[in-house]
Amino acid sequence: MAFLIRTIDTTADGREIVRDRKVPTRTVTIGRGADNDIHLPDLAVENYHARLDQLGDSKMRVEAAGTLGFHVDGRVTKLAKFDAHEGVELGFGSFRLLVSQESDGPITVTISQALPDAASADALAGFSLASALPGKRVMAWLALGIILFAFLAVPIYSNLTRTKVEPSIAEAGQVAMDASWSTGALSQAHHGLEDNCEACHAEPFVAVRDETCLTCHKDIGDHADKPRLAKGRGPMSKGDALQWAVAETFGKEGPGSCTTCHTEHEGAGAMEPTPQQFCSDCHGTLGARLTDTELANAADFGTAHPQFKALLTTTPGQSDPTRVSLGDKPKEFNGLRFPHDMHLAGNGGVARMAINLGSAKGYGAPLVCSDCHTPTADGAAFLPVSMEEDCEACHSLVYDKVGPTFRTLRHGDVAQMQADLAAMDRSPRRAAASGLSGAEGGRRRPGAFAQGGLYYQNFGRPVQSLVAINRALSRDGVCGECHIPTTTNGKPDVMPVKLQDHYLAHSWFDHADHKQEQCTSCHKADTSETSADVLLPGISTCRTCHMGEKAQSADVPSSCAMCHSYHPRGGSGAPANMPGRKKNPPVDSIAFLERRTP
Amino acid sequence: MATLPGQDENFREQRQASDHESFLSHKRMRWLKIALVLCLVAVVSYFWIDVTPRHNGGSWYGYTLGTIGAGLIVWLSLLGIRKRNMSAGRWSLKAWTSAHVYLGLALIVIGTLHTGFQLGLNVHTLAYVLMMVVILSGIYGIAVYATLPAALSNNSKEMTRKQMVEAVAAIDRQLHDAAQPLGREDSDLVIAALEQDTFDWGIGARLSGHYRNCTTTRALNHFASDWSRPVGSEEPADKVRALLGRRKNQLDQIRRHMRIKALLEVWLYVHIPATIALLAALTAHIVSVFYYW
Repeated sequence: MAFLIRTIDTTADGREIVRDRKVPTRTVTIGRGADNDIHLPDLAVENYHARLDQLGDSKMRVEAAGTLGFHVDGRVTKLAKFDAHEGVELGFGSFRLLVSQESDGPITVTISQALPDAASADALAGFSLASALPGKRVMAWLALGIILFAFLAVPIYSNLTRTKVEPSIAEAGQVAMDASWSTGALSQAHHGLEDNCEACHAEPFVAVRDETCLTCHKDIGDHADKPRLAKGRGPMSKGDALQWAVAETFGKEGPGSCTTCHTEHEGAGAMEPTPQQFCSDCHGTLGARLTDTELANAADFGTAHPQFKALLTTTPGQSDPTRVSLGDKPKEFNGLRFPHDMHLAGNGGVARMAINLGSAKGYGAPLVCSDCHTPTADGAAFLPVSMEEDCEACHSLVYDKVGPTFRTLRHGDVAQMQADLAAMDRSPRRAAASGLSGAEGGRRRPGAFAQGGLYYQNFGRPVQSLVAINRALSRDGVCGECHIPTTTNGKPDVMPVKLQDHYLAHSWFDHADHKQEQCTSCHKADTSETSADVLLPGISTCRTCHMGEKAQSADVPSSCAMCHSYHPRGGSGAPANMPGRKKNPPVDSIAFLERRTP
Repeated sequence: MATLPGQDENFREQRQASDHESFLSHKRMRWLKIALVLCLVAVVSYFWIDVTPRHNGGSWYGYTLGTIGAGLIVWLSLLGIRKRNMSAGRWSLKAWTSAHVYLGLALIVIGTLHTGFQLGLNVHTLAYVLMMVVILSGIYGIAVYATLPAALSNNSKEMTRKQMVEAVAAIDRQLHDAAQPLGREDSDLVIAALEQDTFDWGIGARLSGHYRNCTTTRALNHFASDWSRPVGSEEPADKVRALLGRRKNQLDQIRRHMRIKALLEVWLYVHIPATIALLAALTAHIVSVFYYW
């Protein structure tokens, strides 16, 4: 067995010189010393560094002689076994020894010297992720540029260069990319402005101004005069004062501006109702600051709210209704005699009559509230009760029959009534009554129209007509049954009828929202014997369901805004009966039963 | 200059204490405590303070949280400048890093409460999302820094990265010689294996460890069609096969190293650019709020 030692040297001009020599042993030594079989002139190599043994035909072992190891295929070790057929590269210092064997040939050791590797530093960088990704700085600057351009430069530039136009709910705004600035959807009412930011945000770095709101909300009424508002509000707490000081530093308009209460961008849906706190801050202790106010203090519907005051006419001849507290158990004078209990009783004359009239005419059972009270189209309130629509089915004003039809007194006109009844004297009595075809002075009328029948109305005999006219207005007469007779300018008349269709001056009540309730659960009509009873429920009735905003146990926690509006309706400014203000007629209408005055 | 032995010892103790204390447990977790108190105050006040109609960034409380949050974001991002300037003591880089981590985590609570949980498709939410991306990548970074360096050390098996590269080069030189007798088709496969750059791989391959177009694997599969044939027979292909196998083993070690390095480093490629993007989005967020005031 032998080793073939092949040395490859490179000349200065790059030419390779190959020298072969044979070592006829099974072991060769490797080292810097000249006595080694393989002599490697490199200071990094020991004098006697390692030994290469041939164990079998191709089985080889290499072992370090000292403490220094060597490279086997790049790996540092002190002992390695390998197959010469497979070959291996040993490294000693800067020298590489390629050990191999061609089939049955000798073990060949090819020695070459490696040049210093300049590229290795670059190769090591390949381990890092930096070699596979764009630089962090590049990515950072790119993201910075894109965001500042798209979300800042574009909106600001297009905002500054737009042509100013009157804001419109129908048109889209001109500012590009400012949808990205929106902090949330607008409320339902402002939905049309969703794409028109500059309609409200008119000037850069200027908070939304009241005047901007008022370009659309032209008719909104003031709660009260500004100085009076300030006086009513009283001094602010230290916390509020600090908040407003900061807010005003940043250009907010100050307390009382629209945006103080009406916050926007709170999400689609109805605008959030104003919280109770906004009202109770002033109204909770209003009397202490506004000593002349008629309004009682109110802070919480459940615990601190005065009894309701209803608009009532309490005395005969009173022209305008006044607000009277329900706690004073007031009596109303509306000019009518009307016992609710009689009309709602399950038996008795009224019930019998309704049953007799039958279902064909919309009755057929004892009367219920809806037989006379008709809700408005929105269901919130009720139409005024009308004699013709709601009473006359029973309270007939028929006084005569001519041929196949009936003559009816005109309701609401006393003089006409008198004329009609007087004229009846001059007209011939109808055949049936005059007795033309009967020996006893006339055939009896059939059914309900017979004397004593349902529709029989005894206006008296023709010869007694003047008496009949007077009787009509008396307490038992056809008019006096419901009306209160009086004398106007010496002539007989009835007291004017004033039916309130709206009892609450500063709030509202929606019947439609209370459909699931019975009428009588709030209105004690079935026990009311006289029309002087005020059938409005007091605050305690409402409180069985409604308590203040924070009342968790209540069926319906109710803030002020459920029944009250900050801005007076109709844009008429402050409430009409506020002190120091010209008294305007109340907005609610009063049903007058028209009559002509002679 | 001579120093008293006592002083010297004391100094060494101090040095060792500071050397072995992680930034996570710096000063007995002082900054964790501060961050927890900050979060607790924010959460309690969030439920205590009644903002109408509901919490949002535009209430006085929202502005307060927003100001704290914006200040924190700017300060946290200054670590990038601060870390380039090491110092010891109260405001040592370790203290700074500890505060960076814990106050950054507290920012999750402060930022989220600042939103009032009202998110949408806008620049404000963009800033929030970027902030969360930065924080979550930071959490990932701490997690991998705690676990992966050990794996990196295990994998290297006392080899330096330079040795790993040289090992491939050593095998490549033998492969080149051994492949000389091969035919055209076989030698093309060897050339392809030799020519493929060890490090020319994208982030996907590095992170997953799946190198689908590896030419060494392909060549190995070709030459290894018959494993039963012993090495050392007449065929030069056997020697090539053995060398390719060694090359593959060496590449696998390098690739495991690359994978762990990638897992260790990838968060910074999110954390840093997202921080700068966040600063831009934060600027746009604040300016836009006051522009449309």
